Amino acid sequence: MKKFDRGGSRFLIGLMFLFLYLPILLLIIFSFNAGDSSAVWRGFSLHWYSELFHNRLIMESLYSTLLVSLLATAISTAAGTFAAIGLYSLSRRKRDALLVVNNIPMMNADIVTGVSLCLFFVAFFQGWGSFARWVNGMQGAFQLPTRLTLGFGTLLLAHIAFNIPYVILNVAPRLRQMDKNLVDAAQDLGCTWMQAFWRVILPEIKPGIVSGALIAFTMSVDDFVISYFTAGSSTSTLAMAIYGMTKRRITPEINAVSTLLFLTVLLLLVIVNVREARQERRGASMEPRKLTWMEKLAVRTSTPRWRWVKRGAGAALACGFVAVVIFLTGATSSRPVVNVCSWGEYIDTDLITQFEEETGIRVNYQTVESNETLYSLLKSGGADYDVVVPSDYMIAKLLEEDMLEELDYGNIPNFSLIDDRFKHLSYDPENRYTVPYTWGTVGLIYNANMVEEEITSWSALYDDKYAGNVLLINNSRDALGIALCYLGYSVNTTDEAEIREAYQVIADANRRGVFQGKVMDEVFQKMEGGNAAIATYYAGDYLSMVDNQADGVDLAFVIPEEGSNWFVDAMCVLKDAPHKTEAEMWINFIASTEANLANMDYIWYASPNREALEQYPAYYEELYGEELDQETYEIMAAPPEVLERCEVYENLPGETQKLYSQLWVELGTD
Amino acid sequence: MKNKRALFAVPYVGWMALFVVAPIVMVVIYAFTTADGGVTMENFASMGTYASVFTRSFWLAILATLICLLIGYPAAYFISREGPRFQRVAMMLIMLPMWMNFLLRTYSWMSVLENNGLLNRFFSAIGLFTLINNIFGTELEYFTMINTQGAVVLGMVYNYLPFMILPIYSVIEKMDGSLVEAARDLGAGSARVFRKVILPLSLPGVLSGVTMVFVPSVSTFAISRLLGGGTQMMLGDLIEQQFLGGAYNPQLGAAISLVMMVIVVVCMVVMNHFGEGEEQAVML
Amino acid sequence: MLRLRGGDIKIMEKERGRIMSKKLISLADCCVAFDGELVLDHINLYFNDSEFLTLLGPSGCGKTTTLRIIGGFLTPTSGEVLFDGVRINDIPPNQRQVNTVFQRYALFPHLNVFENVAFGLRVPKTETVEGRKKKVKIPEEEIRQRVLEMLEVVSLKGFENRRITELSGGQQQRVAIARALVNRPKVLLLDEPLGALDLRLRKDMQSELKRIQQQLGITFIYVTHDQEEALAMSDTIVVMDQGRIQQIGTPEDIYNEPKNAFVADFIGESNILDGVMHEDFVVEFFNRKFKCLDKGFGPMEPVDVVIRPEDVDIVPPEKGQLRGTVASVTFKGVHYDTIVDFKGFKWLIQTTDYHPEGETIGIILNPDDIHIMRKSEYSGMFGDYSSYSEEYDELEDVSLLEEDGEGGDEE
Repeated sequence: MKKFDRGGSRFLIGLMFLFLYLPILLLIIFSFNAGDSSAVWRGFSLHWYSELFHNRLIMESLYSTLLVSLLATAISTAAGTFAAIGLYSLSRRKRDALLVVNNIPMMNADIVTGVSLCLFFVAFFQGWGSFARWVNGMQGAFQLPTRLTLGFGTLLLAHIAFNIPYVILNVAPRLRQMDKNLVDAAQDLGCTWMQAFWRVILPEIKPGIVSGALIAFTMSVDDFVISYFTAGSSTSTLAMAIYGMTKRRITPEINAVSTLLFLTVLLLLVIVNVREARQERRGASMEPRKLTWMEKLAVRTSTPRWRWVKRGAGAALACGFVAVVIFLTGATSSRPVVNVCSWGEYIDTDLITQFEEETGIRVNYQTVESNETLYSLLKSGGADYDVVVPSDYMIAKLLEEDMLEELDYGNIPNFSLIDDRFKHLSYDPENRYTVPYTWGTVGLIYNANMVEEEITSWSALYDDKYAGNVLLINNSRDALGIALCYLGYSVNTTDEAEIREAYQVIADANRRGVFQGKVMDEVFQKMEGGNAAIATYYAGDYLSMVDNQADGVDLAFVIPEEGSNWFVDAMCVLKDAPHKTEAEMWINFIASTEANLANMDYIWYASPNREALEQYPAYYEELYGEELDQETYEIMAAPPEVLERCEVYENLPGETQKLYSQLWVELGTD
Repeated sequence: MKNKRALFAVPYVGWMALFVVAPIVMVVIYAFTTADGGVTMENFASMGTYASVFTRSFWLAILATLICLLIGYPAAYFISREGPRFQRVAMMLIMLPMWMNFLLRTYSWMSVLENNGLLNRFFSAIGLFTLINNIFGTELEYFTMINTQGAVVLGMVYNYLPFMILPIYSVIEKMDGSLVEAARDLGAGSARVFRKVILPLSLPGVLSGVTMVFVPSVSTFAISRLLGGGTQMMLGDLIEQQFLGGAYNPQLGAAISLVMMVIVVVCMVVMNHFGEGEEQAVML
Repeated sequence: MLRLRGGDIKIMEKERGRIMSKKLISLADCCVAFDGELVLDHINLYFNDSEFLTLLGPSGCGKTTTLRIIGGFLTPTSGEVLFDGVRINDIPPNQRQVNTVFQRYALFPHLNVFENVAFGLRVPKTETVEGRKKKVKIPEEEIRQRVLEMLEVVSLKGFENRRITELSGGQQQRVAIARALVNRPKVLLLDEPLGALDLRLRKDMQSELKRIQQQLGITFIYVTHDQEEALAMSDTIVVMDQGRIQQIGTPEDIYNEPKNAFVADFIGESNILDGVMHEDFVVEFFNRKFKCLDKGFGPMEPVDVVIRPEDVDIVPPEKGQLRGTVASVTFKGVHYDTIVDFKGFKWLIQTTDYHPEGETIGIILNPDDIHIMRKSEYSGMFGDYSSYSEEYDELEDVSLLEEDGEGGDEE
């Protein structure tokens, strides 16, 4: 009876662990996948592990994750320990009141903590800005920086803020359990308070400190939400990098780096546990234990002369740590920098390295998800980008709000290579602010194996035939724009009735269960894996989907007969950008024919560079030894007759914008 | 002597004022102002539009919490009855997944749950769909699992289950074994011992577990986005959209955060109160 | 002559019966208040060199507080602490030539026996040499020698490398004593050091402590609530209650000549009756006059009469000065605790003869069996054995509870 009972409970525990570890196992397995899918096994390979070390984005974010976690752990462990000691010498009433406040970050939802810290930092920066200007105006002896932005500093502060409570939570029970007389005893035996602290309190509460530090470190590494709101633009942790990728396609390098991290921790924990178990057994047997080699070393080096050596070594280590940190942060800040913000997977990263090598300017390359997110980031003051690459209508909006800096085209000779078709467009009629980066069309992508007919109309998007298999683009402008096209209206209409009619088309389809989900970059892995039949997305992205499509998936792209949107993404420099010269160098570099060819090949978006556009088929043939398919080329760079059917987005008046976001929220809450 | 030590608390009190209290004050200020600085209640007035998001968030979070409790409590209980070695290893294994980023783990579920994902492929490989189609005459090719509320709840349960197990386990594990023996001695059977002794005594652990699962569940935005495919909008998504998403409106975001915070705090207070009453009842 | 305002008791040097030797530590008019509550109420007290002095009293009487003032863990709210005539109120504990043995030993769990004892010797001391501050360290060899020496004194030779958790209570106690004594203090403070030991071990340690004190010839200030322990070990006993000193004297003085009902009851068992002093050497109680040895009271002054249970002689009823009925008998080993009912007032009498319940007996009181005390605030609170057994239990419970409470308050 009893035996069966235990077997049953073990079985249940085993099931639970299976549930917990199955996805992790999958991740680890697919880090060894030869292909880049996270669902289809194509054979064993260590390819991604070697790729990992060349992936700039991952290595940088890994570095900043480890740096911020280690620093935050060290600082919050020290601060939390002292705070706990302080709290425990207060009267119970005061202590309890303070502990309630202390627990707020732990009890609060992460998102609230993140948002509140973000608001706080931004408000502080604004206050600081006016204070610094006032101080700078008062005297000339020194200049205070007037522009502070979210970044590594705020990220670190936020991590410390949410780590300290965990440290206190772990140290406090140790303090409570500690015999109060120990400190008295130490003082009685001649220690000053500080000596008593080092010799008695610290060794006593050490287990609490260690577990507090461990938990703090774990929390720091695992945290995403708080980092997301406080890191701003210039720093990105591994979690944030992963979040950026989950939308599109997680590169197996992430699996590889996570597997490495995971196995390291597993190994450490196993070692610690084995040692603990061994010690416990020794303790239980009551035998005077043999000294380990560490302890022997400790005994041998406890003579005064050795103690000096040890102290020196300790000091040297501490200095070294500080020096490394200063060096690393200093090295990054003293070198000229340009902060670039673009879309995910929107550049051939070799170009970044090439630019850095040529100019010695460090490129801090960040990505955001959409034009709207970019706008939010800029508005909240969280970003200190120099170069951004918004789309046409967003450029118009930014210009309207006077957020862009005029460019000095003298520094951008490559601007002359841009085809005249892409100059003087409606968003920048005098062309004083922008240099086009790419252009393309929005079209309908479908899996030919999941639909019976050849699709030529947007109506397929709202068709019950494909219920549960259509992906709606998760962006009000595109979703409503397409519906407007479908109804034969202009995508730039300001007529409320027309917009509401378009909305109704979407809402009805939504209610009938036509849409499987609302996606942006998630569309990649959905379409590539054959998990949805129809989606709308950008032409260039369709081409990279085709490149990655799974077996049994046959993707096709069409610009429906009702017409569509064609867009230009252009580089611009933000108002008061701190690195304007470097920014213009970057823009010039990217506008070159070579860079455009490389980019075009990498991201499959059409280049606005006349030479690059013409040379690309030849470039392709030289690179891959085969001719570029004309159809592919025309999808990439739509021929004039197709473009005629398409319209460029214009910035909508405030009223209409409000209507758009209101309708969009309505759809979400439906 | 004592006063000197109390000085250690001073910097921390300052720190908390700056990085715990002040940010929350900022949220409150934002919630009651407009973009150009005027005081307003409009942010709250417009909250009605989002009632469905609120109810959905709370409903899914409650569901996830209950499931976590249903899995986590027996797991914690069973583990606590094992030998010390087993317990230590089990606890380690429960903590360990946190070292794999939660986004990645959630993403991994995506590839499992997709229409064309591992699970559906597995089902079709064992001929489940053919079987069902033969019996019911349907034309089923896959089960729709991704982008449903079920998938979101699964993601929450999966991610937050350890937070339920750990506190319950630590309470049960510290429980005095002689209490159970005393109850048995007084003639209580296993079920009765559990109901009358173990369960009430482990209630504090359950309460903190419930809090630790419920709070992140109700406010998540990554899980609902990955596994809900954007169709299951939750409070977290709504707030995120106001700050970093398309619908830039930090004032509204702050107001939603505030309302969510207040509701959560009220829930916790009520629950703790209820819990205390329970404890007292047991003592009486 | 010192005047104790608190108990309003004048203590004469003669009364204390202490050999006049060098005063080492004095407390002058010390008060301590926690949260406005007076814990020590104008204490005046001095400690002689090489003396074994015990602070005795129930939990919460202020004895530990007094000890902590001497140790330097507490600064008195008012009053002065003098060491060799120098004011030391503001000297921190680490600079006092005083060491303490703590209630639950307070041994350092992370150090072994040797390192615990060596702890005080390893702390570098700052000394001013030729006007320059210098850190002075004791050479390792000397530390080793002194530690081993001291472990021998406390009979723990060969235990150097043991971990603290591997020691029994008695051994831990010895380590704690060695740890304090190795620093060669002038005064050793002991805060209920034997409280956690069982009875047998406690008796052994009592004589051990006394031996160590005599061997080293230093002052021991010992805090306890156990009157037997106090009587057995001390040169001088200070009885305290409610933050005030109730009586100071040799163990014999305290036992034989209690100052008030509290002391009489706290030290040993006592029957305390209301009486009236008719004239010198004549006291009346139970409507009968008895001869006694006390004088100096006003005419017809109401007094407390103390009669120790072992002083009462039981005789056949017809020969007794008083007659009563045996209410209950308890066998105690050496003697019987016999509760006798005298017209509703119950006495405790300890006899070696057995008198069954219900028997009528007579008693005789000799003049030297009767001790007269002035009326005090404690009159009427003690000395009636009407509810003998229950009273005992209650007292024990209360003292236990208070002890916990005290520990919490003082942290």
